[in-house]
This record gives sequence, structure tokens and C-alpha cells, in this order.
Amino acid sequence: MNDQTGTALDSQEVDQLRAELSALKLELEETKKSTNQYLQNVAHQLTAPLNAIKWNIEAIKDEKIPIPRKKNLLSSIYSQGTILVHLIKNFSLMSNLEADHELGQFRDQPEHVHPLRLAINLISDFQPQAVELSKKIEIRMETFDQVFGAESLLVVKNLIAQALSNLLENAIKYSYTGTTIVVEAVAKEERETPWRGISVSNTGLPILREEIEMLQERGFRGSGAKQKIPAGTGIGLYLANKVMRLHQGLVIANAKGPSTRMTLLFPPDRIVQEEHS
Amino acid sequence: MKPARKILLVDDEPWLTEGLAASLTCREFECLIAVDMTSGLEILQRHEVATLVTDIMMPPGTAFPKVDSSECGFIFIDQVQKRWPRLPIVCLSVIADQAKIRLLTKRGVRYLRKGETPLSTAVEVISAVAEGRRVKVRPS
Repeated sequence: MNDQTGTALDSQEVDQLRAELSALKLELEETKKSTNQYLQNVAHQLTAPLNAIKWNIEAIKDEKIPIPRKKNLLSSIYSQGTILVHLIKNFSLMSNLEADHELGQFRDQPEHVHPLRLAINLISDFQPQAVELSKKIEIRMETFDQVFGAESLLVVKNLIAQALSNLLENAIKYSYTGTTIVVEAVAKEERETPWRGISVSNTGLPILREEIEMLQERGFRGSGAKQKIPAGTGIGLYLANKVMRLHQGLVIANAKGPSTRMTLLFPPDRIVQEEHS
Repeated sequence: MKPARKILLVDDEPWLTEGLAASLTCREFECLIAVDMTSGLEILQRHEVATLVTDIMMPPGTAFPKVDSSECGFIFIDQVQKRWPRLPIVCLSVIADQAKIRLLTKRGVRYLRKGETPLSTAVEVISAVAEGRRVKVRPS
């Protein structure tokens, strides 16, 4: 009697283990599939600008093509270079940020960074890309004076530059043709703390309300974004969020209809009096 | 003066085909640019196009919200062949799936792989297709 009960229980356990095993196998297959798709996507993202650069160089060598057109092709090469550098920096940042290091464990240490200068430098890097797509980036300089005055950010410059670049790149990618992307300084009371930061606003592809919270998840891309621009890594805002958290800051996403605003917010102790050399 | 023959380039990243458009334009073709399937079909309705050059992975646009962007080019080619059966088509894409490429070739579509095809070859193939002559591609 006892033996029979024991056998029955064992076989139930075996069945359960079998079921668990096949569920795990299925999960593994799914993970493999999505990793594969992700890698293919990454490969496409990296090769596409290189292919464009190759063809543009070949076209520039073509004697039949007039000089003004060649100038456009050169400008396009510059833009593709910017895209590529930015993309590679994002991938190299991934490993550091995924390891959940503290800010002190990074090779670069926090330094005084003038927010207006940082924004201007990045905008001049991205402006050719925007112009090529008949868009433009405008900076509201007076807001930086109002919000930061003579203060600067105490941050790891390369990390914050990458976070802001990710916002600019998304704004260029998803805004409508002929529109202007606005960069300004903002002050905001959030979670009972007076935050200050930099925002990037654009008019373009609407973001679904239920997707706003997911935008900062690794690999997530909004349904509208995927439909409009199939290629994309979905790591831009994820990395921006990681970078801001390292600095005890926040990324705030606001979207209503075609208007989108992404803001990098810094806590009061990251905003300090400017260093005088 | 003879009006320029028109070539429709459909790619959601038009800067990727900028060099191609520049090379074709100076060979007396007029390049029309579309960034999705909807605008591609609209242009075909309005213009007499000598050749269509299309990508596979691209957005379907507003008229086809349910079409998956990763396969959009196949559906686009299907629609074009039904409505303009005599229009020559060149597919310029990164797809590597041989079965899919064979299927395209079987349907009379010429396939050029982005990144592996030199610009000079792409220009030669597309010009020949648009002019209805045999493609003579010199080794690069």
C-alpha cells in the first residue's frame, strides 16, 4: 500500500518536473530568439551608417556629380559618423552601467560642467543630422541663465553628455519634418526636492500613455516608434535613466499627443558654484 | 529635350540612398523619394516611373497600420506587381534569408544586397533595368 502511494507520488513529481522542464525549454527558446533578433537589430544599426558612408564616398569620387551635391554628401557622412560614434558609445556604456557600479568606480570622476556649454556642444554635433531631415534644434539660452545662473553641474561629463545625446537623437528621429526641437533649462519641484535640469521637447510621433512608464526599460520601444522606424535598439532612455540615477537624478518623460518632452533632472547637491580658474 | 526617366527609391532612411540618388540624377534620371509603403504607392499613382527600387524593412505608413514593418517590403512588392505588373523592381536590402531572396528573384525582382554591392554596380544595374537593357556588371 505504502509502496503504491510512494510510486504514485513519484510519478506526479516526475510529471511536474517534466512540465517545468518543458516550460524552461520554451522560455530558453524564447530568450534565444529575442537575443538573436536583438543582435540582428544591433548589427543593422551599426552597418547601416557604414554602408551609407561607403556609398557617399564612392559617389564623391564620381566626376559627374556636381560640387554642391558632393557637399551634401560630405555633410551626410559627418551625420552618419555622429550616429555611429553615438551608437558605439551607448553599447560600451551598457556594460559599465549594467554592472551597477557606483559613480566613484568609473574611470572619469565628477567635474564642473557648464550646462549651457554642454548643450551647445552637443547641439552643434547633432544639428547637421537634424538639418538633413529638414528639422532644426533651437536652444533657449536665456533659460540657462535663469535656471543655473553662475552655477554648474558636478557630474561625470561623458556620462551626462551621452544621456543628453540620447534625448537629442530620439527627438530628431521621432519628430515630424519641418519642426523645431527645443532645448532649455528647467527648474522643477518633484518629490519635495527642488530639481534643476535640461529638457528636450519635440513635436512628432505620439507616445501612448500606457507606454510612457515603459520607455526607460531596457530594449523597450513604443509601438508607434517601431512601426514608423523599424530599426532601433531601445536603449537610449534606459541608459539616460541609468546615468541620471548614478548622479541621484531623474529622467522625466512627458507626452501629450504629438508633443513630447524628456527632461534630465539633477538634485540640489549636484549643482554647485562654478569653479574659477 | 526628353523628360528624365523617373526612378522611385523607397527607403525609410533616405540618407542611406543619398549617394545612389546623386549618382542616378547625374545620369539623367529623376529620383523620387518615398519613406514608406503608403507614400510609395501614392507616388506610383501620380507618376510614370521607369523603375522601383525598394527596401524590405520599412514602415507601412498611414494606409496600412496593420502591416508588420519587418516584412513590409514584401507586401509592397506584392501590391505593386498586382497594380503595375510591367514595372521593373529592384530590391535593395540587407535580408540574408536565401529562401526569401529566391522567392523575389522568381517573381522577376532583382536583388541587391546593401553593404555588399558597390555603388557603381547598383547604379549600373538600376540604370540598365530602367532602360530595359541587359545588365553588364564589371567586376569591382
